[in-house]
Order: sequence, then C-alpha cells, then structure tokens
Amino acid sequence: MVEQIYNAIFVGSIYALFALGFTLVFSVLDILNLAHPAIFTVGAFTALFVMQAGVPAPLALVIAFVVCGLLGVLLDRVAFAPLRRRGAPPLSAMISSIGVALILTRLIQLRYGPDLQAYPAGSVPSGVIEVAALQLDGLRLAIIIIALALMVGLTLLVRRSALGRQLRALAEDPRAARILGVNVERAIAATFFISAGLGGVAGVLYGFATNSPYSQMGLPFELKAFTVMVVGGMGSIPGALVGAYLLSFGETASLAFLPSELRDAFAFGLLFVVLLVRPNGLLGQKSPDRL
Amino acid sequence: MDRRILGVLGALAITLTACSGTSVGAPAAPSATTAAASKPDIKVGVALSLTGVGNAYGPVQKNGVELAAERINAAGGANGAQIKLVIEDDQSSPDGGITAFKKLVQQDRVAAILGPTLSGTAVAADPVAQSAQTPVIAISNTGDGIVGKCDYGPCDYVFRVSLGESTAIPVTVKTAKAKLALKAVVLMYAQDDKFSSDGFAIFKKALTANGITIKKEIAYSKTDVDLSGPVTQALAENPDAIVNSSLAGPAIKILQEVGKRKPGLPVIGGNGFNTPAIAASAGAAAEGAISGAAWYLDNPSAENKDFVAAYKAKYSKDPDQFAAQAYSGLYVLLDALKRTPNPNSVLHDKLKAQIELTTGVKTPLGEVSFNKDHDVTQKVYVVQIKGGKFTPIN
Repeated sequence: MVEQIYNAIFVGSIYALFALGFTLVFSVLDILNLAHPAIFTVGAFTALFVMQAGVPAPLALVIAFVVCGLLGVLLDRVAFAPLRRRGAPPLSAMISSIGVALILTRLIQLRYGPDLQAYPAGSVPSGVIEVAALQLDGLRLAIIIIALALMVGLTLLVRRSALGRQLRALAEDPRAARILGVNVERAIAATFFISAGLGGVAGVLYGFATNSPYSQMGLPFELKAFTVMVVGGMGSIPGALVGAYLLSFGETASLAFLPSELRDAFAFGLLFVVLLVRPNGLLGQKSPDRL
Repeated sequence: MDRRILGVLGALAITLTACSGTSVGAPAAPSATTAAASKPDIKVGVALSLTGVGNAYGPVQKNGVELAAERINAAGGANGAQIKLVIEDDQSSPDGGITAFKKLVQQDRVAAILGPTLSGTAVAADPVAQSAQTPVIAISNTGDGIVGKCDYGPCDYVFRVSLGESTAIPVTVKTAKAKLALKAVVLMYAQDDKFSSDGFAIFKKALTANGITIKKEIAYSKTDVDLSGPVTQALAENPDAIVNSSLAGPAIKILQEVGKRKPGLPVIGGNGFNTPAIAASAGAAAEGAISGAAWYLDNPSAENKDFVAAYKAKYSKDPDQFAAQAYSGLYVLLDALKRTPNPNSVLHDKLKAQIELTTGVKTPLGEVSFNKDHDVTQKVYVVQIKGGKFTPIN
C-alpha cells in the first residue's frame, strides 16, 4: 500500500513536471504547444549526448535545461512569433508546433535511429534507500524532490517576481501589457525559455528513471498532460499540479482495487466526473486571471 | 522577413522529408548488374517499412537483405545470374504494401518478393502476389493468417522464414518450467498492442498446457509512462516468475522494477525481449530474463559467425534478429533459384515448387525448412540474459 502511494507520487511528479511547461505557454499565450513532447525528448537526448562525452549526470541536467530553454526561444521566434505578428488564430500556432515536433523528432531519429537507447553504464546515479521496512529507489526520490522544487520555484516566480507580474499582465491582455510598458516580446521569450527548459528537465529525469530514451518518448505524455490541464483548469498552474497527482492517484488506486483492464476507464471516468461538477476544471476560472 | 523564416522552415521540412525518402532507396544499391553478362539478372522484389511505424525494423531489414545480395553476387549469384534487388517502401500500411507489391509484380516483373515488414501489411499485400502467382517469402511477419490458412483465400504462393510466436512461446514455457521448476506465475501484458495481446493469449494457453498456475493477469498500456504500480501488484502475489508479453519498452520498465524490488525473480518474455536494448537499458536488472528467439547474436554456428562479422564490417554495428531473418530469407530464395531451370520465366510455378522443397538450408537462423503450410521449421533458441548476453539454455 505504502509502496503504491510512493509509485503514485512519482508518476504524478513526472506528469506535473511535463504539464507545467505545457500549461505555462497556454496560460500566457493561449497556444497549445504540441512541440512540447519533442522538446521533452530533446532534453533526454541532450543529456545522452553530453553524458556519452563523459559529462556527469547532474551537470547534464543543467545543460539540458539551458539547451532546451534556448530551443524554446528559437521555437517561438521561428514558429510562433511570425504568426503572432499577423494576428493568426491560435489554431495556426498549434499546427505550426506540430510541424516543429515532426522536425525535431526526425532530427533525433537521423542521429540516433528510432530504437531504444541507454545512458552510458554506471553514469545514471542509482541506489536504494531503506526507510523502515520500505525500499525506496533513491533516483526516484531525487526526481520527486527536484520536481517539487521546480514546481515551487515556478509558482514563486509567477506569483512574486517582476517577471511574474509581467507574465500575468500579458496573460490578461497583451495590448494593455504593452501600453503599461511591459516588454512583451521579452516576456514571451522568457515564457518559452522556462517552459521548454522545464520540459527538457522532465525529459532528462524521465530518461534517467527508465534508462531507455527513444525518439518518440514524449508522445505518451501529450494526452496525459492535456487531461491534467483540462481537469486542473485550462492554464492554471496550481490546477495542473493538482490534476497531475489526481490522475496518477486515480490510476494507481484503480490498479489496487479493480481488474487491471479497467484502469484507464476508471481513471478517466473519475476525471470526467470532476468535469461534470466543475466544467472549468478544479481550479479553472473563466477570466484570464489564472496564472 | 517573416515570410522568409517560414519559407526556410518549410524548405527545411521538405528537405527532411525528401532526405528520409531518398536515404531509403538510393544509396548502396546492390552491386548487381553487368558482372555476368552471359545470364540475365534475376530481379527480386523487396517491400519493407522504411517509413511509418515499422521504420524501427525496415532499415535494418534492408541492411540484411542488401548484405546478402552483395555476398551472393560476389560468389557468382544463382548459377551465374546476378540477383538484382528492387526495394520498395511499404510505408508500414496496407495501402502502401499493396502499391509496392503491384509495382513489383506488374512493372518490375520480379521473380519473387521478400516482405512486407508488418503482419497487418502482409495480409493486404500478399493477395496481390498470390493472384499474380508470384512467390512471397515473409521475413518478419509473426502474426496468424500469413501462411497456411489465409482469410483472403488460397495463399499457396506465400512462405515465411520468420518464426511465429505460436511456435516460439510454447517451447519457451516448457524450457523455463524445466529449468526453474515453475508452479505459479503472474502474467502481465500490454493490452493495447496487437503483438502483445496475441502473445498474452499464446502464453496463457502454453502455461495452462504445462500445468502452471496463473495467479493473476495484469493488463497495462504500452503508453504507460511507469509500470511500478502493476509490478507492485504482481509481486504481492508472490509468484515463482513474472511472465510478460510486450515490446521492448514496457519490458525494460518491468525488469527495472523487478530488479529493484525483488532481484533474482525470473522474468519470462516473448520476442519483444530479443533486442540488445533490454540488457543495455535494464543493466543488471535484465540478468536472468528468459525468452524464445529465432536467432541470437552469439550463436556459434559458422553461418552466423560469418554473417555477424560481414554485417559488422559493412555497417559498423551488430545485426539484430530482423537483419538476420532478412539476410536468411534471400539465401533461402537463392537455394530455390539455383534449382529452378529458368528463374526469369514469366511463370513462377516452377520457382514456387522449388521453394516448397526447401529443406535444411543453412542460414544464421540455423537449418531452415518449410512445412506443408509453408511456415518455417527451425530450432527455437530459448535464451537467458547472462552477463549482459543472450545465452541459450535449451
């Protein structure tokens, strides 16, 4: 039982970390960035690339954050900014992001092929921590802690910092934000840097946990993250966190109490009930005041 | 400015697509052609999943079959006639397979076809060759209804050198029971994947037939990001072993979890286990995993050592089972071509008759024969991962 709770916390943390970056871009810009799974994958492969050259795992994590962050900024410049300037509808941006996702995935395949890869033997930290009668995987514990720290960090950034105020202004009304002196393009670049950086970190951590990164590893997260966003409340960051853990606990609980074939039906049914009661999601609001 | 960026992006996308397209057919076209001017070339069609979901397998199959053609031609071809491969992309889809087969049969008028990659493509494309009476040798289809009894009617022109799971799994279960004294197991499977759920049904039947109790069946999804939950459920049953039917990705996650929670508990799997990725990713946790295979890398037979060395020399990496089966498929065809008086005849019934007579052709898979259903008979290698390598235990 305790083991299953631990499992659920781990899975929820990975869902949350992935969904955070996804949600951040949506909340500020109303764009569903479907290149996010590809950036997640690029994160895992950036770590693979530098670790094959001998870089230690913690440093590889930082490098992947920066590389993916910069890639996010580039993504915005190439795929979204031109559309934004022409006032294209959000749907166009979504299509544009699908194109970027295909290109990134294909580039990874050209270098690494479509097969499962592995980090160099012994390079991923491992170890088992014994707490009372429980054996907890040290790497997973570290991942949970890093994920929680990043979630707290992002929440503080959005709530407390000057940049956070700019982002919230931007989310509410881009034109008003500009008139009030917010450097809109810079704030958007920051949004993409943080979003993609977080996505990249999530990719590295998940890559470490499974030690089998492959070119499509981000895809299974797309549907989960989307679900988490809708249930939590579109664009709400705390909502995404709540949604992520709700989904992972729902999945694990159904596993413990129901035949395993019914797991997804139960988990998604539960989320459906949530939406019936709160159509805007758990923490969703109709107004743009959702960051 | 904006337009230019978009233009560049578009051009990039097009180039990428084009690249993936050309890398498919063009380079390293087998060096057939003019060497033996006396005899006309024998055209052999090859339909593989070079794009689409099957492109995890198609490219290595192409490597395998091209290596075989190159070596066969260097050694004098089929009685002096060079083998000329015509390679088409089946796009991992039924429609793509039909298009590829039609081109090979009607335009290229090939003597025989190897492929297509996926079973789902094969049941759609094989009827094209069947109605044109052109022999097909399946080199990777493991599903039911490919040879013997086919839903679309007679399929007597279709053969298969790829060992089906319904042959491999019962041997695996029997061997594992003998080695591990299995009494009760937990059976896990990816329920949303045809290969995995078919394997599940075969495992279930084989386990029951061998008198092994299935304590619990646990279904999961191939897209599950983590399998610690299902594995925790399985371990709670305290089984003698975990039996798992899935592709490599979920198998790795299960092995990792078992390795952490209950090191040493045997995990038994199907063909999805037969990839070096298992040992590379799961590391020590993969030790002891058991599966049934049509081929394994370290098989010390002369044919296999020769094949592995040549493959490594040409492609600078180890072959996998798909490459070995593709390579073997062309050698099986060569054996029949050599016995066929006029292999370039527009009628292929003589070639078909010779393929039916295939017995004990030595390949990297071992000695290959066809049974009356045109399915392969070969040794099933039940292998266990020891020291990171597949080691036979039967």
